[in-house]
Amino acid sequence: MTVTAQAVRRDAVKAPRRRGGGIAPPWLFAVPALLIYALVVLYPAFSGAGSAFTDWSGVGAQRSFVGLDNFQQLFRDDQALGALRNTLLLTVAIVVVQNGIGLLLALGVHTGIKSRMVLRVIFFAPVVVSPVMVSFLWKYVYNPAPDAGLNAALGAIGLGGLRQDWLGNPSIALWSVAFTVIWQCAGYSMVIFLAGLEGVPAELHESAMVDGAGTVARFRHITWPLLAPAVTINLMLSTVGGLTLFTQIIAMTNGGPGYATDTLSTVLYKQAFVFGKFGYSTAVALVLAIFVAAVSFIQIGYLRSRETAA
Amino acid sequence: MALDRSVSRRRLLQLVGGATVTAGLAGALSACGGGNGSSSSGSPLKVIGAGSQEAGLRKALDDYKKAHSDFDFNLSFSPADQLQTALRAQLAAGNAPDLHAVYPGNGSAMSMVQLSKANLLADLSSQSWTQKIPTGFKGAFQNDGKTFIFSPGTSVLGAIYNKKAFATAGVDVPTTWSELLSVCDKLKKKGIVPIALGAQTPWVTQLIDYALVPGTVYAKTPDFDDKMTAGSASFADSGWADAMDKYLELQKKGFFNDNPNGTTYEQATSMVGTGKAAMAVQVSAVLQAFRAASPTPDDLGMFPFPATDVAADNWIPGGVVVGIAVSAKSKKADAAKKFIEYCGQPEVVNAWAEAVACVPLYSEGDAKVDPVLKPFLPYLKDNKAVPFMDQRWPNAEVQPTHFAVVQELLGGKSTVPAALKKMDEAYRKTA
Repeated sequence: MTVTAQAVRRDAVKAPRRRGGGIAPPWLFAVPALLIYALVVLYPAFSGAGSAFTDWSGVGAQRSFVGLDNFQQLFRDDQALGALRNTLLLTVAIVVVQNGIGLLLALGVHTGIKSRMVLRVIFFAPVVVSPVMVSFLWKYVYNPAPDAGLNAALGAIGLGGLRQDWLGNPSIALWSVAFTVIWQCAGYSMVIFLAGLEGVPAELHESAMVDGAGTVARFRHITWPLLAPAVTINLMLSTVGGLTLFTQIIAMTNGGPGYATDTLSTVLYKQAFVFGKFGYSTAVALVLAIFVAAVSFIQIGYLRSRETAA
Repeated sequence: MALDRSVSRRRLLQLVGGATVTAGLAGALSACGGGNGSSSSGSPLKVIGAGSQEAGLRKALDDYKKAHSDFDFNLSFSPADQLQTALRAQLAAGNAPDLHAVYPGNGSAMSMVQLSKANLLADLSSQSWTQKIPTGFKGAFQNDGKTFIFSPGTSVLGAIYNKKAFATAGVDVPTTWSELLSVCDKLKKKGIVPIALGAQTPWVTQLIDYALVPGTVYAKTPDFDDKMTAGSASFADSGWADAMDKYLELQKKGFFNDNPNGTTYEQATSMVGTGKAAMAVQVSAVLQAFRAASPTPDDLGMFPFPATDVAADNWIPGGVVVGIAVSAKSKKADAAKKFIEYCGQPEVVNAWAEAVACVPLYSEGDAKVDPVLKPFLPYLKDNKAVPFMDQRWPNAEVQPTHFAVVQELLGGKSTVPAALKKMDEAYRKTA
């Protein structure tokens, strides 16, 4: 008998589901939390959203209604459009590479090697460090001097020709930042994949091995389909993280050189706090929020359907 | 096993609850205790200064406290970019410090004009020292005829240089553009970086342009700012193009350190302090940082950075340094104003100016000026000094645009006409 992932999932579907009993859910208990949420999240968000239709500078009471001017300006603003392009490039790089590396790491430490627990801790360690600290650390690593950081390491192993001005060259600065983010967050993806791998029944692999399935075939037909929920979570988190990336960019390049690493988040920050255009900044924030929500809904819809199909 | 779990969960909740209460009590107790040395007359005056004014502002506050036993202060400093964000957020929320740093004139989101327009600064016009502000500098202190900030004087901008490095290469201080190129060439041949440039730090990017445009723009068109305001001049069709061409010429000839876009202000400062580089174009207000980075601070000097080959056209940039103002919403506005009135006394102005290496706003008799600044004094006397350019720019967007386009130029991603077009577009945007 060949046990497949589909059979396991069908069993899961047939399992009896818990339904609500005769007592109504105590929604009243949620009221204090909802009130606090409304006060500290919803109210500021909606009152802030109103600023997107004004020319408020961010300080003082002076403001006037400008309708959709800020939104029209946004779609004509070369800096914002360049930032959108950078945001998308960063997100694609982070989603693909971070999850790819995270999956490989998870598969690596899910084996029977002796040092797997130590390796798990090492790979996860960067996640618990503050992003600002990681950024400053990598700023040292990316020191452009030939005798410092990464350039010195390249020189020491005879790859001096690959030395770069990692954060100062507009052509590669964005990828240097992306690498830092991936270095820090790959361990996070690994842990989620690892949780998914722990849930794959060992019997499936054993019976598939009895049937003569190789490592690749077992990964393709057993591991990968059953990892679908972990894939969904990882893709969702890394996509939202990539689209809203801010800390590492401000700490490492401040959006420079020029506008080479500006993202929508850094643009809205600069518009509000450097240029003194709070109204326009809020318009950028609104568009970013709607964009992230739309991408997330589309993504989760597709991934959920994929989970069901698997 | 199930029982064990429920018990341990309850135990865990007890522990967490206990820890929370303990933390809360500790917080409450520490709040009761104060702990910041407040005086018996109430909480101390909250003061936030810019990093570059630390030496002067701290001394003034310390001296004032010694003379006024009922006065106490809580002082902190921020780098320019953090000041812009943190302080603006506090100003917007109505809880700004009683006394805080403000940039003179216009041109940045934390400038006197922008903040006074939003009614966030207290009027200081009734104080007697305001009558002594030299006419040429009134625009830096006043908006609509009212004075809103105090600043101890003017900082000049030029080349901070390492005399030992110059001696090693056998070169003297240049007085024309051609001489400067020749000096740089000789330094480079001796293996010394001629000019250290830390252009990864945004505000550093502007300094070479600022050093050059008094000669390439203002010496020929002293009313350039008025023409810009009237719309009859532009960056693109002015000596700004010449200045940026010269900036890039220095880069093309290899007179900067490698990778200036990846080098920070601190790294460039260290290069000059240690003699690895011969000079850096900087404001005199940061002389102390260069001295701190040098094992032999007396080897550091400063000279006007020449922009043209006509010595008479080589004007200098000299702007009012970052000042302090009283928050309009401060509950201790009277105490803060009294401190500013104290700062306006000539001897305090002198002491503060000396501490931050700038030329005092005014003085009684001979002012004590850092000897390093002496080459600049004749320019100030002959009215050949131009305020820092951003102080007359109409909005807070031109200066960051200038930072960005210079980084693009240094990175080979733009051209001088395209860079100046972006600056013109930023200038024409509404304030």
